[in-house]
Amino acid sequence: MSATTRRTLLAASLAVAAAVPLALPTPALAGIASDTAFLKSMGDQLVAVVNGPGTQAEKQAKLQALVDKGVDVEGIARFCLGRFVRLATPQQLATYIKLFHGVLMRSITGHLGEYKGVGFTVDKSAPGDGGTIVTTTITRPNNAPAKVQWVIDQVDGQPKIEDVIAEGTSMRLTQQSDYAGFIAQNNNNIAALIGAMQKQAENQPGA
Amino acid sequence: MPASRRLLATAALLLPALAGCATVPQNPEARAYYHQINDPLEPTNRVFYVVNDALDTVLLKPLALAYHYGTPEFFQHGVHNVLSNLDTPVVLANDMLEGNPRRAGDTLMRGLINTTVGLVGIFDVASGWGYPKHSADFGITLAVWGVPAGPYLYLPVFGPSSPRGVLGIGGNYALDPFSWFGRGYVVQDFGFTRSGLTAVDTRAGYLSDLDKIKAQALDPYATLRSLYRQHRQAEIDAAMHDETWTVPDWYPQPAK
Repeated sequence: MSATTRRTLLAASLAVAAAVPLALPTPALAGIASDTAFLKSMGDQLVAVVNGPGTQAEKQAKLQALVDKGVDVEGIARFCLGRFVRLATPQQLATYIKLFHGVLMRSITGHLGEYKGVGFTVDKSAPGDGGTIVTTTITRPNNAPAKVQWVIDQVDGQPKIEDVIAEGTSMRLTQQSDYAGFIAQNNNNIAALIGAMQKQAENQPGA
Repeated sequence: MPASRRLLATAALLLPALAGCATVPQNPEARAYYHQINDPLEPTNRVFYVVNDALDTVLLKPLALAYHYGTPEFFQHGVHNVLSNLDTPVVLANDMLEGNPRRAGDTLMRGLINTTVGLVGIFDVASGWGYPKHSADFGITLAVWGVPAGPYLYLPVFGPSSPRGVLGIGGNYALDPFSWFGRGYVVQDFGFTRSGLTAVDTRAGYLSDLDKIKAQALDPYATLRSLYRQHRQAEIDAAMHDETWTVPDWYPQPAK
């Protein structure tokens, strides 16, 4: 390689390096800031409900309202059904999404008591797969601090929580594996999954 | 620990004998899923899952419950800390093999501090002094070196694993100085006690988590497979992108 080519290459790479920050659309950066603020506000409200006064039923109702407002329940439900979203009939899909809403609420509100005294700090935010990834540290009395990441994406112009990644394990990915495994074990029959979810809902009422 | 070696040998002999392979689906999407889960031995793995689950229900879980509710919490913490302190040589060796000198430094300091000030490891003083605990084992080391995990394996007794995981178990055993000593009764009893306590301590640590998974998952086998792989990948990522500072907490920190 001649000296000139090297210099040209160097100049070119410097130009590219200089241009990259300019090329980054500013809305993306603004998006990260607003997504982080959204998560912080959601987290503060969740913590206030969990640690605040009120009966178990009152707290569950408040949490349900928060989840409906800030979590993309339908999007997560569709993700968890994986390729079977396209294979399900519209009616199956509607029933499934309704049942999934119950699954999500039960898994959040079912262990309310364990989260007494919970606190969190926002550590950093970065763009990632499927939206902004906000990294937080969750503290609970008598528990080691846990690193929990939240995936935030825009749904109809509103920021929504799409996934929770606790110590490297993604909630929606794990749930998707569960459903995919179950459907595969039942001859790829979506009705079997819906039946099992219905049975689960009957056995664990309260949400 | 000759017992665990015998167990591994038995498992290695049993596996091909029981190897029922899943049939590759014809449907392109189903085939993509089949390759994505990378579990060609699924029928056999599910058998071992059921066997392990039964063993757990009648043996390990009751032991762990008795241990959890029958002994004081400070005792359980002490046992856990002593066991994890005994792993120091293996963790240190793997930190170095992974090319993580900062993590190796943490491990060395943890071992020195906890063995002395922490009274043979009963108290984890080092964590409070800025030397936090981290995971390192030969399976992670192989992953850092670029060895692929291979298909999913559900091992008898050991549980979720992979061919790389099996090599990892062997590598850890070879790297453990406690496995180099003689074969006397004292050494053997120490080995058995340590393995037994490790099993109970580990199981006690997962009591509520495993109960939740079994209660909520529709296919606990597939859920555990996913959780195991994700957790393993997170440990490998942490080992590959080590962000530990050279200086401990109590020393003025460099600007990030």
